[in-house]
Amino acid sequence: MDNLKIPATERSPDVDFDFAAGRLSLRGESYPEDASTVFGPIFAVLEPFLDNAENRDIRFDFELIYFNSSSAKALMNMFQMMENAAGRGVRLEVNWYFAPDDETMKEFGEDFAEDLKSVTFNLVATTPS
Amino acid sequence: MSSETGETGTAFNLFDAEERVLASATELEHRLADADPGIRQGVAALTEAYSRSVREQRRLVKVSDRLQHQLATLNQELGRRRAEAEEALDRLKEAQETLVQAEKLASLGALVGGVAHEINTPVGIALSCASHLADATSDLQRLFAADDIGIDDFERFLATAADTSRLIMANCERAADLIGSFKQVAVDRTSSERRRFDLAGSIAETLTSLTPRLRQEGHKVEIVCPPGIDVDGYPGALSQILVNLAMNSVTHGYDPGQAGIVRITAALTEDDMVRLVYSDDGKGIPEEHRNRIFDPFFTTRRGSGGTGLGLHIVYNLATGPLQGSLSLDNLPAQAGTRFTLIFPRQIARAP
Repeated sequence: MDNLKIPATERSPDVDFDFAAGRLSLRGESYPEDASTVFGPIFAVLEPFLDNAENRDIRFDFELIYFNSSSAKALMNMFQMMENAAGRGVRLEVNWYFAPDDETMKEFGEDFAEDLKSVTFNLVATTPS
Repeated sequence: MSSETGETGTAFNLFDAEERVLASATELEHRLADADPGIRQGVAALTEAYSRSVREQRRLVKVSDRLQHQLATLNQELGRRRAEAEEALDRLKEAQETLVQAEKLASLGALVGGVAHEINTPVGIALSCASHLADATSDLQRLFAADDIGIDDFERFLATAADTSRLIMANCERAADLIGSFKQVAVDRTSSERRRFDLAGSIAETLTSLTPRLRQEGHKVEIVCPPGIDVDGYPGALSQILVNLAMNSVTHGYDPGQAGIVRITAALTEDDMVRLVYSDDGKGIPEEHRNRIFDPFFTTRRGSGGTGLGLHIVYNLATGPLQGSLSLDNLPAQAGTRFTLIFPRQIARAP
């Protein structure tokens, strides 16, 4: 499966999916005019990947600074998809990074974690640079 | 991933899961066609409520997206404007710094002018005395050469020689004294060196350098300062403050041809502070300007060469190097202008 690498733009995050290594990440900001332009390509590859990842170790890093409501909805859908895959035996670990002074981003992580039973979800405070 | 509405034209649909739930709810309603009407109505009501809720969710996401988009745009704009404002402020500060330096140089120029004028008098007297003595000497030489010299001639020459040499010496000493004091003022003014100095002496030297300018308009200066106040600080800053205040009095305080009195009263307070009161008996500062006189670039004479920095510099010197305070005292209209400067006799080590 081809890796997916999309550099960040002013209003969309950096996407780095290394399927061979099982390391996926989303970093940056996400408030696109149309959520499908950002999340369409992500879902298009993520779904078939998770469908065939049984017994693999997958790590997904989220290091988001800001996202809008439809991005939040898309992330929720993504977590639902991961939870389903984890239920099927994909070993999924999610690292949710937040700046120590960003209470909102931490709360978002806690909200998402609430619906996850099979996915390992870690809240990680980033060290200020 | 399938999309039943296909609203974005791609396979991606944010509300895919919700739409599938709604589709199966409709399916469920069909299968309940023969069920109890109460159950059918209940399921229909639930489906309807969920459908409304999803529609509301879509609407909220759309509204919220739009607001967040606007917010992001505004934040960018704000950042850009702030960067612009900061840059403008930096440029302004630079320009202000340049003007402050220019103003300092200009007042140094005025000082040099004053020095030249002041020294001119004793040097001029000495020169004319020397010339008179030279004339008398050559007269005597001629008489001596002609062997026509009398006791009277010789006595007159001796009197002239005694008078002129006394005057030459006195005036040269006066000139030397002036040069000495100006040298100190100039050094202090141009360097920001800290040293111990006698307060009364420093005030007197500074005012002496201003005398020509003040005398030209007929103004008088009165200094009341007890001798022996030994200040440890920046004499240049103090000198600059007095020059700027005096120049302001001359420029703004009096109408042309009107002569006044400038008073400087200094004393030591109980808590080892120097309290210096500067006043003139001129027109005073109009009520509406009093709050702004220390602001940089505030001037009532923009057109005629005022930079609006004179009192700003005074204020900065008083509160900066001198570590003190400066206030404009509230006097009734037409009662003149009075500033009170208070600063520690001995300034703290690190200013």
